[in-house]
Amino acid sequence: MRFSYVIGLCSAAVMSVALAGNAAAQGKTVKIGAIFPMSGNAASIGVHVKHAFDVALDIINNPHPELGNFPLAKNGGLAGLGGAKVEIVYADNQGSPATGQNQALRLITEEKVVALTGAYQSGITLTASAIAEKYNIPFVNGESVAPNLTERGFKWFFRVTPIATDFARVYYEFLTDMKAAGAKTDNIAILHDNTEYGASVANTITTAFKEKGIAIALDVAYATNATDVQSQVLQLKEKKPDVVIVISYTSDAILLAKTMQALDYKPPMLLADDAGYSDPSFIKAAGKVSQGAFNRSSFSVGPAGSPTAIIAKMYKDKSGDDMDDTVARQMQALFVLCEAIDRAGSTEPAKIQAALKATDLKPDQIMMGYQGVKFDDKGQNILASGLIIQLQDGENYVSVWPKASAEKPPSMPYKGW
Amino acid sequence: MTFTLVQVIVGGLLLGAVYALFSSGLTLVWGMMNVVNFAHGDFVMLGMYVAFVVYTLLGGGPLVGAPLAMLLLATLGVIVYFALIRDIMKGPMLAQILGTFGLALLLRYSVFWWFGANFLSLPENLVGGTFDIFGIRIQASRLLAGVVALLVTLGLHLLLTRTTLGSRMLAVAEDATAAQLMGIRPDSMQAVAWAIAAGATGLAGALIATFFYIVPTVGETLGIVAFVTVSLGGFGSVPGALVAGLLIGVIESLSGYLIGAVYKDIVVYALFLGFLWFRPQGLMGKT
Amino acid sequence: MRRYVWLLIALALVIAYPLVFTTPFQQRLGALVLLYAIAASAWNIVGGYAGQVSVGHVVFFGCGAYAAMAAYAHFALSPLIGIPAGIVFAVLIAAVIGGPTLRLSGHYFSMATIAVAELARLIVTNTEYLGAAVGLSGPTVPRNVFDLSFISALPYYYLFLLILIITLGITWWMTNSRMGFYLRAIKDSERAARSLGAPASRTKLYAYMLSAGLTSVAGALYAMMFGFVDPESGLGILISVKILIMAALGGAGLLFGPFVGAAILVPLEEISNSLLGGKGAGLTFVVYGAIIVLIARFQPGGILSLINRLWAKRRAGPIEEKVAEGASHAS
Repeated sequence: MRFSYVIGLCSAAVMSVALAGNAAAQGKTVKIGAIFPMSGNAASIGVHVKHAFDVALDIINNPHPELGNFPLAKNGGLAGLGGAKVEIVYADNQGSPATGQNQALRLITEEKVVALTGAYQSGITLTASAIAEKYNIPFVNGESVAPNLTERGFKWFFRVTPIATDFARVYYEFLTDMKAAGAKTDNIAILHDNTEYGASVANTITTAFKEKGIAIALDVAYATNATDVQSQVLQLKEKKPDVVIVISYTSDAILLAKTMQALDYKPPMLLADDAGYSDPSFIKAAGKVSQGAFNRSSFSVGPAGSPTAIIAKMYKDKSGDDMDDTVARQMQALFVLCEAIDRAGSTEPAKIQAALKATDLKPDQIMMGYQGVKFDDKGQNILASGLIIQLQDGENYVSVWPKASAEKPPSMPYKGW
Repeated sequence: MTFTLVQVIVGGLLLGAVYALFSSGLTLVWGMMNVVNFAHGDFVMLGMYVAFVVYTLLGGGPLVGAPLAMLLLATLGVIVYFALIRDIMKGPMLAQILGTFGLALLLRYSVFWWFGANFLSLPENLVGGTFDIFGIRIQASRLLAGVVALLVTLGLHLLLTRTTLGSRMLAVAEDATAAQLMGIRPDSMQAVAWAIAAGATGLAGALIATFFYIVPTVGETLGIVAFVTVSLGGFGSVPGALVAGLLIGVIESLSGYLIGAVYKDIVVYALFLGFLWFRPQGLMGKT
Repeated sequence: MRRYVWLLIALALVIAYPLVFTTPFQQRLGALVLLYAIAASAWNIVGGYAGQVSVGHVVFFGCGAYAAMAAYAHFALSPLIGIPAGIVFAVLIAAVIGGPTLRLSGHYFSMATIAVAELARLIVTNTEYLGAAVGLSGPTVPRNVFDLSFISALPYYYLFLLILIITLGITWWMTNSRMGFYLRAIKDSERAARSLGAPASRTKLYAYMLSAGLTSVAGALYAMMFGFVDPESGLGILISVKILIMAALGGAGLLFGPFVGAAILVPLEEISNSLLGGKGAGLTFVVYGAIIVLIARFQPGGILSLINRLWAKRRAGPIEEKVAEGASHAS
């Protein structure tokens, strides 16, 4: 019994020694910490993000004149820091807010990163950025949409992605345009999981539509990672809504598409909210039975030779998957962060923070379809926006709305299989 | 309304048959050896990956994939029995949870390491398409799984009640020492039970793969359903698992349709608990 | 006598740990070990001593975590106020579900506790007041020291240590009381214990309620340290399993077993994640899983029982009571 303490301590001590001493000289590199799910249910996100960041580092650290005016591409390394190279230190958040916070602390204090990015799940972004705030380290988020993240009065948190209120506006305007073009859009149903993502987006859309005088006719919520979605599909089939807005992660999206085919249900219009419907594995698994699905995105591959097309190709070569919206938003956040560090000309967190606050990127300087990147006092990008894409003829999304950036006109109705 | 309700119930029965299918292996080892297998869901997952590999490499459907999955998983079951289960069975129940939970992580993340984390899936039309009987839609792949579930249940039940092997296995389950005195080797009987259980589980995985997505963590989702099915049916009762599976499937479908999909699991767990409090040995379990 | 000397030395070492290992991450690691040791020690009362393997203890953990965060989120109070509230909720829930559930034997009890935990998680996920799926956050910027939101892990470390000592003290007191005597009898054979007149149902229920209250304290501390709780991190079944595994790995039914388990598993998990997690190939859990399997296979009674046995063999003298107890659990 008395041995217990000794053994316990020894093991803790040995482990601690293993961790000690990482603060060695760093030479001319800028270390950035990246916290993402790399195991658990959302592990595929982490795998994709690593490929995307590899591509981003290639662009930043090596000369890429073919990308033209794209920030940080022209020469190797960060010019503002005398050509210093950027290095990413990855950490797995294991899908747990606690682990995410522990790893954020480790990256800041042991790895001495100058800034952080991540962490996909909103709950983990919340706990990880709280540590960054306490240590005065900038945290740039590219993909978490929970509204409360930018309502905490944080000074070191910046969010590049559009959030639910932005999507709701996009959907409203898109549906208004479609209605003007002759589609029926009066009877709207929302099908969503009850995760923090699904529930909050569904909520925001319902509220935003209500303000415009449109009531959501049917709200079908379900628990995520369902073993079966037949009852939900049958509910929709019976109520026959004109538009079904689907908010779900990949697992449920695949099951849903397959079940819709099995039960022979095709809504006139299916509008998905990114997430599952954007995952390349969804397109591989269920793209053939989801033809005509609309989807929200902020990324669309531009014409051949454009920076977005080149980046998308580099990503495809690296990962074997097409670039999707989620990974593109994460990559954009990294570019925003590195551009700020370059402009700050320093790795001092306070200077990076000041540079982030002064960020003003124009549409041609970013890879996303945003109107630019500019942060408000809360750290939210006020120029973030989205567009609508559609799964047409096979396994590729094409942008269909707004007209200005559309590759093809929207095709109606939903075809399915 | 009534028409949709029929479809809901049919869907629930097919779903329930699938639950029964992947629970039969669990109930066998749980009841016979008093071993909790926390890695059960991951055995199903392995069966799914076997089906996927068979399809991508050989282009074969479940006719090839399912028997192969059964064979491979049965082999794995024997290996796991001799390498791990035989020893942890002698320990306290905690050691079983510890050992099988560790095994679950090991299997899950070995597959992750090898295949990656992407969601995979088999083509929809691998097992026929969908039958339309007077407007009631029945997916051929689910029907096949349902029929196999009935056959597996019947087969295991006959094996246990009508054959010498079965009565020997039951004798070991009843009292290993007494069985040994009668010349039955508990070791081999339990290894056989593990082979059968793991084989049935692999078969289930291969069939489920024809209409479900495949991902390393899928066992977590399915494992907990299997736990509830088995304890509702009564540990060790193969027919019990079938009845419980069908019951849960129909209750889930009906409550999902009538009350709302977010509440269906709440309904199932609440009914399960209430039931357990009235009948602590499950539907068909022995006291 | 020598036993107490060793105990004091060990205590001194634990107190000294964060002063020797001073980086923030090492200190936080130490605090996490103590935190999980509290939870696992609380579980040990019912799971180890009474032999009722609860896999749903996360319900009580969640009571504390949610009470602490709700105190802040809804009443702008210090999360500390949530601790007594969490204890009350946890003990009440334990009293309500304990009655019918503790009658179940063996695996049925474990299954019922899993169902209770899942039920709680699903209900909270659909409860707006408790933040539904989004969860509740604590104070992001501490208003005063009672918000228990520190940058350094040092205050957490000593606070957790104090509570761990209290938890172990209660456990020790319990095992040496009449209740501990009953529990041991029930664990060996409930039927025999009943026939000898031990009030089995009542004793088990009291142990369950005591364990629930202490577990909720661990939950509250957890939520305060991380400043956040959501259904997955406060009521996810994996937390139960983790607590159980720590106790089992260290040695269930031994006073210091859960602490040993936590001192091994928490650093193992954090460090394998730090070294391997970033590679994104799932290797962390391959290693973690393999180690658990090996321990279960070769040391089913837990690490501490092995140490106790070796210790006893080395001395080959009078076998202590604790040693005998540890060995019997291993068999």
